[in-house]
Amino acid sequence: MSFSDKLLTGEFIVTAEISPPKGTEIRPLLSEAARLKSLVDAINVTDNPRAIMRMSPAAVCWLLQGKGYETIMHITCRDRNRLALQSDLLGAHAMGIRNILIMTGDHPEKGDHEGAKPVYDLDSVQVLSLIRKLNNGFDCSGNRLEGMTDFTPGAVSNTQLSDVSMIKLRKKINMGASFIQTQAVFDTDSMSNFMDKIDMISSKRPVIIAGIIPLRSEKSARFLNENIAGIKVPDNIINRMREANDPASEGIEIAAELIRKLRSLCDGIHIMPIRDHKNTKHILETAGIR
Amino acid sequence: MIISKQKEFDVILRNLKEEDIFIIGCGKCAKKLRVGGEPEVLQMKTKLEKAGKNIIGWTVLSSACYIRSWEEVLTQNPAIKKAHALLVMSCGGGISVISGFADIPAYPALDTESLGGTCCEETVKDQCGMCGDCIIWMYGGICPLSQCAKTLLNGPCGGAKDGKCEVDDRLCVWDAIFERLKKIGKLEYLDVLRAPRDHTRNRRSNV
Ligand code: SF4
Ligand code: SF4
Repeated sequence: MSFSDKLLTGEFIVTAEISPPKGTEIRPLLSEAARLKSLVDAINVTDNPRAIMRMSPAAVCWLLQGKGYETIMHITCRDRNRLALQSDLLGAHAMGIRNILIMTGDHPEKGDHEGAKPVYDLDSVQVLSLIRKLNNGFDCSGNRLEGMTDFTPGAVSNTQLSDVSMIKLRKKINMGASFIQTQAVFDTDSMSNFMDKIDMISSKRPVIIAGIIPLRSEKSARFLNENIAGIKVPDNIINRMREANDPASEGIEIAAELIRKLRSLCDGIHIMPIRDHKNTKHILETAGIR
Repeated sequence: MIISKQKEFDVILRNLKEEDIFIIGCGKCAKKLRVGGEPEVLQMKTKLEKAGKNIIGWTVLSSACYIRSWEEVLTQNPAIKKAHALLVMSCGGGISVISGFADIPAYPALDTESLGGTCCEETVKDQCGMCGDCIIWMYGGICPLSQCAKTLLNGPCGGAKDGKCEVDDRLCVWDAIFERLKKIGKLEYLDVLRAPRDHTRNRRSNV
């Protein structure tokens, strides 16, 4: 069953994230993907994450799909104007890619090409609206396409939202985001508030997939708090990481506990490890969902 | 007001290979911002002389971007004719007008940053990106094209941390836009899907 069909069945979704290689060597990428074989419903492939230049996500999605994995291709607004966005989307469609996750994208200044021109010709709401047009057989300017697309678009969100971010999320949902992948969750109360808010702003709730970052150490928890927007690792989790004899196993246990609780709160989880997917299988088994 | 700031002196010196220099300041924005009025021109003169340049004259034009007659400027400042280069302490508008008249190279001493203003004695920058199609009213008079680092039109990017923009220490402008629209009773403006911008409205601008 395809990812988009699963979104409709109400089945609990499991996705995991992989970043393309920085260079042409694809063997490590393929062995990472192999770790996820028959564990996840789709593999997310990032688009120059944190504005660090890497291989095109379309190429990586194509490679992975050729090996039997279903993918979710990330697309940011940072690097392409509306011409490039559309031609890349049509190209992705030709390569069999159907699931697209749209996000604004970190500013070039955050990455390894600080002086690059930030594009942001369209914002994430406008890209969702563009995909709706492509799916209806028209381009951004309203010209008819020879052959329409069949994309399943998704959007991203933090779980703790300011009033103005809430308004933007509502626009994303109205523009057809059929799934939302959230920033990493460490606190199920704030996730539950987020779910209430989503119900308030949308008549038909999109599939909500909560982000999970398995912690590796107390230091990694503090790093997330200090450096990554939208993430708040609460003190009790930081304390557990500090006091653990084996922090990596404690991180696995914490992730598994979160997943068990999230099962009754939202519609799926998305694993974004700090380094690699060595522990992903173990986490999902400990959580009892695989 | 055009907001500009002085280039680092080393950079000015690196560009300026000529020896005999005439300095031109500007009596409008650059003077008000204290980057190109008489005191700054005189300071520049001293520094350049220390660096071995021959400053053969200087002036502060009433506005560098509005020159009715170059002949008049030359009559009042005959030393310009002996200069091998001009150093212009004005915004990009000023130096480009002057370069159009002069038949020697003109070098900028300032970096022009943005269009801003002065509000309650405080200089505010990045108020307008000169997009050619003003939509500032949709945002309560706070322009996201010039104040959001990603020029977003439909809301914030989610990268702000503790209210601060992802790229620097400034506050994410979207919270201010929300508060302003709330204050004037126009929050519904934020609900509207804002379409992609039409870049033909200003073919030569970057925003
Ligand atoms: S909308 Fe355009 S013209 Fe109006 S303030 Fe912003 S950049 Fe300037
Ligand atoms: S943090 Fe706010 S001001 Fe900065 S780029 Fe994002 S939306 Fe724009």
